This record gives sequence, structure tokens and C-alpha cells, in this order.
Amino acid sequence: MRIRTEYLGRVEGEAGVSFKIEGGRLKDLRINIWEPPRFFEGMLVGRRYDEVPDIVARICGICPVSHMLTSIRAIEKAIGFEPAPETLAARKLMAYSQIASSHLVHLVMLALPDYEGQGKGENSLMEVLRLPDMEKSGLLKKFTSVKEALNGITRAFGGRALHPVSMVVGGFTSLPGETETRLLISALGAAERDMEDIAEMMSELKLPQFESASVPVSLSEDGGYAVNSGLIVSGAGLEGQEDDYERLFEEKEALYSNAKKTSLKRGGQIMTGALARVSLQHRWLAPKARKPAFLLVEGPPSQKNKNKKNKNPFHNITAQAVELLHFWQECKELLEAAAASLNQGRQKPLRGIPPAREGKGSALTEAPRGLLYHSYEVDRTGTVRRANIVTPTAHNYLAMEQDLSGLVEANIGMPEERLKGLAEMLIRAYDPCFSCSVH
Amino acid sequence: MGARRPRAGFFKFTCCSGCGFELAYFQRCLEETLAAFDFAFFRLASSSGTPEGPFDLSLVEGAVTEPFQIIELKKIRQRSKVLYAIGSCAITGGIPAIKALAPEAQVEGAAYKERLYGLASTRPHVINDYVQVDGFIRGCPPGERDLFEALSSALMGKDPEFTEYSVCMECKMADNKCVLVEEGLPCMGPVTNAGCGALCPAHHRACYGCFGLMGQANIHALKGRFRELGHFSEEDIENRFFTLFGALGKTERK
Repeated sequence: MRIRTEYLGRVEGEAGVSFKIEGGRLKDLRINIWEPPRFFEGMLVGRRYDEVPDIVARICGICPVSHMLTSIRAIEKAIGFEPAPETLAARKLMAYSQIASSHLVHLVMLALPDYEGQGKGENSLMEVLRLPDMEKSGLLKKFTSVKEALNGITRAFGGRALHPVSMVVGGFTSLPGETETRLLISALGAAERDMEDIAEMMSELKLPQFESASVPVSLSEDGGYAVNSGLIVSGAGLEGQEDDYERLFEEKEALYSNAKKTSLKRGGQIMTGALARVSLQHRWLAPKARKPAFLLVEGPPSQKNKNKKNKNPFHNITAQAVELLHFWQECKELLEAAAASLNQGRQKPLRGIPPAREGKGSALTEAPRGLLYHSYEVDRTGTVRRANIVTPTAHNYLAMEQDLSGLVEANIGMPEERLKGLAEMLIRAYDPCFSCSVH
Repeated sequence: MGARRPRAGFFKFTCCSGCGFELAYFQRCLEETLAAFDFAFFRLASSSGTPEGPFDLSLVEGAVTEPFQIIELKKIRQRSKVLYAIGSCAITGGIPAIKALAPEAQVEGAAYKERLYGLASTRPHVINDYVQVDGFIRGCPPGERDLFEALSSALMGKDPEFTEYSVCMECKMADNKCVLVEEGLPCMGPVTNAGCGALCPAHHRACYGCFGLMGQANIHALKGRFRELGHFSEEDIENRFFTLFGALGKTERK
């Protein structure tokens, strides 16, 4: 029996999955990422340092902010520029609003139809929205109110929510004033119940049981939930600093796929993203997110196996719901702090782009889907001589295939159509971005 | 509503999927869009649906960089009453077109080693190199105004009126201070298609041309103005500003 999905739906980008079952055994399982490459690492060579963020934003239509932020920090390290504290706060708002947005897209648009439409043959948000209980819950209204509140923040600080313009090397060319910031805070307040309803609905989904062998990897920082910078930690403890990245991790090309597989050099599959972050950083979560995070990571209090951490990749969905709660609170606090220190009207904080200087710089951040690495070498004229980009889905690629093998083997007797559906559900739970993975 | 909802298809080629996300998430008329159209094929939003059509309206994002896409594109054209190119990649080549500025093996070799010899990637092409296109929803990401115009026109059965002037017009309408004249920033606004609402100048930044160069734009005059600003190298003026979203035009001018 050969099971094959040529073009996966409800994921970002283009990939397929195929495997064979012969004599009760799984054979030839592959996630084939056929997304056409754009060769960003090649295109960036010869471009000027201050063009890089605008170029790399176009790696991804859902996490452009992460590519911009990571490249900006790497370039600033290369040219020896230290951003101002206000810049760092505004960059956090950009990152947090985008992660929450991206999670919202994945939870409601991409993942939810797997569970609500299950067995009903409903395969899209458009169809799920018409299901009687969804219509009754007003899901679409809630979804749009939450999305507008989050997009509003990215738009106010970045100029536009998709492929922002005012976030550049050195800082921001424009920032909202107090009045505009207060409006963002009230929009968050007005949509908060809707956001909590969605987070609750998503954390109550009946997810399939499966245990992964992946090691979770995430950033970690004292004093907060690490996103824009931090040390590299895994389930085994401290791994190193971002400048050690190329020494710690390796990329391998797969001859059947346009994406590379990245793992820790010392071996084994790794998982990055919401579940890894919540597992490794939950003590820094906002109070409202802490309880659901504890339940997610440690299991219900009555459960016997105390030290068994949650290793079910389907729970990446629950972890995204936890992070939606967390980043919402973080945005509110950062906006309150910004509003208190801002003038009425829009500000023009940046006085020119910092000058070029020869150097190398690398940065590691948490994108919505996990660890994102950018590294650049810039010559004295500011021209990029080398670029290296490793994306979250490249970090998760090996684990996605290994987990899929394990899941199929555990359900080998399942009818063909159901097994195919289950395999797709696991891939979607990882929230892969195939456009990023190839880039 | 007794009338049949128009059948819409959304297709992705070589790009970031941003136009798909603009339609499904970032634009403000999501509820109305979902209610008004029957999306018969939209892989980002649905795991069912068929690319076979027929479609009343097809939107195609992305540049063409692999041979199989040419066949797909011609099939889409045949099955669609109206076909719009959406986003800079499909219309001008966008960011993926930067690849065309250097020999292919050189650009590709910076990203792959063994895999290089299994790739069928070619020089990027815009979609109207291969099929007739009924209109262009410009921008990176596409402007909300033109996207709305395209969708609402399809519902009303009329021809859309897309913005056909430069960013400068939008700056004047918004009463923005000119960042080129007043501050000496290298603004691409005079030669760039409008549709963004003069976003960058409104944010105190030079337009970087993400809506694509206008047809018949006086590029030489703007290059002369950039020279007069005095702080850009000849290399920057010749190769930088005009190739970020206009790389294909540059190679054709050779």
C-alpha cells in the first residue's frame, strides 16, 4: 500500500508526504519539500547591509518580522552598532504581536479544521465556520477582532503588518505617539475575551496521543521569556551562546527535498517552537498563561508519572494557545510602558542609518515556529560577502519525519484514508513553514 | 442571496505566500471575502478543493522559476475566465528576481552543494511572459485598495480600475513632506507604482520600490537626482536602488 499526498493543504508553502506499507511494515517515508528555492543566501551576496532586512522579510509571508529582526541584530553586530533601549522595547512589540498573530493563523485557519471538521469531511476554515456549533460560537467574529488587535500593533510600529517598512538597521524610522498607543491598548482590551475564548477552545481539542523522541531546544534568558535574544538551552541543559551556533548545529542536504535538515552535531532529532519554548521557559510566562502551561508541561496534578515531561508534538497546538495568552499580556504591558513615556504625536527617532564597517555578526531568535539563525559577513563598504540562514522548519524537519515514522508504525493497521489524515495532522501540528525552510 | 457565488482560485508559484496571507488574514474585509466567494482552490486555506476549475476569478502569486510551473500556469489560464497576477513576484519578479543579476550557478552554489545538481531552477520570469493576464494587483504585499477593487469588481461584473500613477501622487494626497526634496533621502517614489498609500514617506523613510517600477518611468532623471544628493556611490545608483524590485528590467536593459 502506498500512501501519498502530493501537495499538503493548510500549511505555509509547498510539500508532500509519502510512505509505503508492505507486509505490515513501514517503508520509504519522506516529507518531500518541493517548494521552489529562491536562493536567498546567494541573492544577498553583493547587496548592501541596510537592504538585508527588506530582502529577507520576503522569505516568509507570515513571519517577516522574525527574519527582519534576526537579520537586523546580526548586521548590527557585524557593523558594531548598539541599539537604544527604546528600540529594543519596540522590537519586542514587533516580535510578540507577530508571534501571537502567526499562532492565531495556525490555530484557527490551519489546524482547527483537522479537529472540528474531523469525520465531517470539512477541510477548510471556510467550511468549519459554517458548522452549526462554530456559527453559534461566533468564531469568525472572534477571529477577526483578535487578528485586527494584533495586526494593529505590528502596523503601528512597523508601518504595515506584512513586510513592515519602518523597522530598519539602527532602529525605527517612525514610532507611534501616546494617543495611537492608547488606542492599541484599548483594542487589545476589547478583543481580550475573544482571544481567551479562542485559546480555551484550542486547548480543549482532543489531540491524538503520541510520544516523540525529540529533544526540545529553545532560547533562554534570565528575567523573561526569551524571544529576541538568549542562550541556547535544550532538554539536556545549557548548549551554548548564539555565536557558538555553527559549531553546535549542522545542516544536511536531502537529495529528495529542497530543504535541509538541521540537528545538533552531537546527534539526535530536535524540536523547536511553541512546545519547546513552553517546556523550557514556562517559569517566565505571564501569570494568566502559567497555569495552562503547567498543565501542559507536567500533566494534571493527579497523574502519577511526575517527572515525565510532555513530549507529544500534537501539543504544539496547546502550547501556541498558551503563548497567545502570554504574548497578549506582554504586549499590553509593553504598550502601557511605551504610552507613559511617549509624546502625543508620531516620533522620528532615527537620525540616519548607522555607518558601514567591516565585520561578522550572527543572531539567533525565536520565530513563531522556533529557532531562527541569521549570520552575515560585511566588508568595509557595507557589502554583504556571505550570508547563512537556518529556519525553524529546517530545525524541525528531521523530527517531523522521525515522529511521522513512529506515528505511522504505531497505527499501522489503520484504514488508508484515516492514516493519511493522521499523518497530515501531525505535520500540521508542527506548524511547518516550507517557504522558510527552503528560502 | 440567490445568485451563484463566483468560483475563485488562488495559486502560488515561487514566493513567500504573503499574497495568500494578505487575502486570508491581513486584509480587513475577510468576513466579506469568505462570504462572497466560493474558493474552489486555495491550498493555504484548504486541504480539499480542486485545481481543475473552472474559475470565474483566479489570482496567481509568485514568479515562475521551474519548468513544471509553466505547464500549471497555462492550465490555470485555460480554466479561468479572469486571471489577475497578484504581488510583485508575479508582476515584476520581485525579490526572487535578484537571482537574475548574477550567473545562476554562482547564486545557487551559495545555498546548495550536492542538491544543486537535482534542481531545475531557472532564471525567474513574470507570469505574463507565459500567459495573458487580465490585470495586476501590485505590491509586496499587494495594496489593500487594489485587492479590494479586484474582488469587488469581480462581484459586480465590471472591469477594475487599478491605481495607475506614482507614489508621489499619494504623497501629495496625504500631504506628506517630500523626503527626497526636503531631506535628501533616495526616494524611489517618483518612478514607483502607487497603491501603498505612500507608506514609506509617511513613515519618514525613502520608498524602496516594492510596488514595482512604473511603465515609462524616467529612471535616468531620478538617477541624476540621486547623484546630486552627493552621498551615494555610482555603484549604488546604477545597481542598488533600481534592482531591489526591478532586477529583471535591469538585465533586459543590458
